[in-house]
Amino acid sequence: MKKVIISDATLRDGSHAISHQLTKAQITKYAQAADKAGLPIVEVGHGNGLGASSLQVGLSLLDDREMLETARASLTRSKLGIHIIPGFATINNDLKFAFDYGVDVVRVASHCTEADITERHISYTREQGREAYGVLMMSHMASREVLLDEGLKMQSYGAEALIIMDSAGAYLPTDVQDRISHLVANLNIPVGFHAHNNLGMGIANSITAVEAGAQIIDGASRGFGAGAGNAQLEVLVAVFEKLGFSTGIDLYKMLDAADIVEKEIMQSTPCVTSVSLVSGLSGVFSGFAKHVSLAAKEYGVDPRDIFFELGRRKVVGGQEDKIVEVALELREKTEARTK
Amino acid sequence: MSKIKVAILGSGNIGTDLLYKVLRSEYLECSLFIGRNLSSKGMSRAVSLGVPVSDQGIQAIQNRPDCCDIVFDCTSAMSHKIHAAILNDLNITAIDLTPAKLGPFCIPAINLDACKSDKNINMITCGGQASIPLAHVIGQTQKEVDYIEVVSTIASKSAGPATRLNLDEYIETTEKGVKMFSGCKRSKAILNLNPAEPCIDMQTTVYAQVRKPDMEALKKGVDEMVAKIQKYVPSYLLVVPPTYENNRIIMTVRVKGLGDFLPSYAGNLDIINCAAIAVAEEYAKSLLEKRG
Amino acid sequence: MRSHLTDLIRRDCEEICPSAVTLLQEIKNQKLYITGGTGFVGTWIAELVTCLNDKHGFNTGLVLVARDTDSFRERAPHIASRKDIQLVSADVRRTLEIPDDVSYLLHLAASPDNRQHVSNPIVTMETITGGTGNVLDSASKLASLKKILVASSGQVYGKQGNAKISENMPGTLNSNSITSVYPEAKRYAETLCCAYWSSCKLPVVIARPFSFIGPYQGLDKPWAINNFIRDALMDNPVRIIGNGMPVRSYMYPSDMALWFLRILTSGTAGLAYNVGSPSGISLKDVAEKVMQYFGAAADVIIKNMNDDFSAFVPDDTFCRESLNLSVTVPIDTALRRSLEWYRSLE
Repeated sequence: MKKVIISDATLRDGSHAISHQLTKAQITKYAQAADKAGLPIVEVGHGNGLGASSLQVGLSLLDDREMLETARASLTRSKLGIHIIPGFATINNDLKFAFDYGVDVVRVASHCTEADITERHISYTREQGREAYGVLMMSHMASREVLLDEGLKMQSYGAEALIIMDSAGAYLPTDVQDRISHLVANLNIPVGFHAHNNLGMGIANSITAVEAGAQIIDGASRGFGAGAGNAQLEVLVAVFEKLGFSTGIDLYKMLDAADIVEKEIMQSTPCVTSVSLVSGLSGVFSGFAKHVSLAAKEYGVDPRDIFFELGRRKVVGGQEDKIVEVALELREKTEARTK
Repeated sequence: MSKIKVAILGSGNIGTDLLYKVLRSEYLECSLFIGRNLSSKGMSRAVSLGVPVSDQGIQAIQNRPDCCDIVFDCTSAMSHKIHAAILNDLNITAIDLTPAKLGPFCIPAINLDACKSDKNINMITCGGQASIPLAHVIGQTQKEVDYIEVVSTIASKSAGPATRLNLDEYIETTEKGVKMFSGCKRSKAILNLNPAEPCIDMQTTVYAQVRKPDMEALKKGVDEMVAKIQKYVPSYLLVVPPTYENNRIIMTVRVKGLGDFLPSYAGNLDIINCAAIAVAEEYAKSLLEKRG
Repeated sequence: MRSHLTDLIRRDCEEICPSAVTLLQEIKNQKLYITGGTGFVGTWIAELVTCLNDKHGFNTGLVLVARDTDSFRERAPHIASRKDIQLVSADVRRTLEIPDDVSYLLHLAASPDNRQHVSNPIVTMETITGGTGNVLDSASKLASLKKILVASSGQVYGKQGNAKISENMPGTLNSNSITSVYPEAKRYAETLCCAYWSSCKLPVVIARPFSFIGPYQGLDKPWAINNFIRDALMDNPVRIIGNGMPVRSYMYPSDMALWFLRILTSGTAGLAYNVGSPSGISLKDVAEKVMQYFGAAADVIIKNMNDDFSAFVPDDTFCRESLNLSVTVPIDTALRRSLEWYRSLE
């Protein structure tokens, strides 16, 4: 039977949905359940990864050390994974200590056209004997040729897998098929896919990715993630088994873990709201959702207008400061019109 | 009026752009443009501009120590460590645009007077030249500044292979500069690369968490600081004035380059060159006064 | 460097000296000029030549050229401080001043680190193509030059079948890919050698190095065997992404140094020679041997996430038959010696 490795982003990407306010008790409870269910990789941390707690993208309740220590103590079988974006986190400030806390898999991420900023972080991870994945975020903003070029760079740096993220939830299945099959045909390392659900395509796109040759799929329990959320992990497990792919995950225990997320971590169940739909259509990072609704309230403008304007300006993840600037400009325009 | 002689060490993009700025200066003249390869783009530009050139590296200055009073070093941190010792022995002032961090940090709008007596002056980082002045104003106008964060977004095209390989050093040096000039307890620097076409201008946002924000004082201080910077970086523009929202202070500036040799979207590189020229001119003025 | 480490290298060189004395008579009393002279290959050539000078009165002079000679002085003072060694700081992309009394030239400058190739592809190509052009141009003006060797790469063959790769196989590279930056630049450099040979009658030979393992190899390099050794030293499991079946071969650097020098002195101008071991071994077997010799308790994890059955092993027939060269250090000995070296480094 063909295998799919499911990487659990619940305790990392899910952080966006609760403004990075995960508690130790929540991490412990979920990580234990995920470990029992047999998830191969459990990511933990700030939504934007290690060293990203900031006024720009949101401050974490717990610092990175506390999160890693807590998760590590709860994982026996699952590998402990982290997300890290060079430009936010440095080797000296952040990555060095992460290894002291027993991180197994480091997913080094960049905007989809900027893979060469990951060279040192990937090399350093490999030098420590840990697993390094390369991650290309906001991948809908690049063609399959560009994604391959950037993926080949990450492969040369020593990445042991390449994960393609649909960070804006902007893909349709044909987009996924086009990109993933091209990468699978031309890379020596396995390819993975990370779906967001803004257009309701989270599961469909994940299936398409696997059919196109992807071997690693990211998901979050109950779809826990900003806005419309991620590919719902327990659904992925069920659907892949039904399609004849083995995940090695115990479905019943996975459902228990998902219930924990719903009852004890989530503030609201992700669904495709009007604003998150617009976010996907405009091709803007889903993680902006909370920030956009805050700014919309603060400056009295329509959050949908903010998203479309951000999309027009081709902002990338990490440019959350643009939200305030755009909101201010939109307010000025409205005021000028009413005068 | 007589001018002070400067040499530019390093004929890459930064060095060549500096050359254009020196040629425009009332106080400076480029007596030697030094690289390693006479056929490089920068060298041929210099030749066509009628500037004396050499391909001998630092040796060119050792051969003719009286050729200049100031050297702009636009090579690499590793090379600057060697150059610094030689220039010091020759009693020539070095304005260091590499990340070598040997001399004191200089932001012209803050500590120009203090720096002009130093023999080795470090220009910190490009993002630091944009953000640290604002951080300094926060430190001056607010009580108990707990935390300052500076976020720069630059056009992908303006970040070459060396910048990309050295993102960590950029971040750590900028964080150090923010702390030093603002007195805040903690600092963080973030850098984003944006590949959008047409290229975006450099944009820098400064956030702060302070005990009791005094926005009136801050706005006044920031306006004054922006005016000061605009004297040497004409396109330094405040696009989001100091605002207090969601328990944080936020303000944003945008920097367009002058487009001398570097394209205008490379405001991040332009600003460090503008700052280096400002330091050199100030030093030149004091030398000219001394010499009568 | 600690004397134990230099002793290990000297032992390797002395072991190969009997055949080196026979095969390398031509370099006696000659001056060799080596670009990239402080790199992995250059350092080993210096080790072998200085051994021949000390033990067999070769009286061979070496000029080692590199951009950064200071770090070499720190790294290998036992070579740098010798009278028969001259260190010169220069960049091959610029014009080189080569002394007139140089009779042999080796052009080795170019980093083989594929991370640099993709992160800084333009400079990589400029250094290889422009650097080779500069060196060939300077060489063609030397009065008493007997031969110049230009280091190319086994990667110029591109993807091949599972047969051993012989020198007359044409390459199959996709020129339009970021990963072709290095091999395509090397192919251009080879053709440039051919042009100088044809047009200026420059006596140039080409060496195509494959894979090596042994002292002076950096374990930070992103290559399979280097990673295996690094992980084994840290008692970490060794991970293989694919099925472990790809076949590679590894030459020990004392053999490599002898091969380079022999190709330089006795290779036929205008021809290319493979430098590498003809004994193929699967990645899985390499990993297991590394773990075994290093006494590591951790596992070899075969992830089976691709179907790579490729082979990259040179055919040594041409070197063996025309130059009397052979591999004297088998893979097992190479790994044991590597272990001894890296353990002593710690």
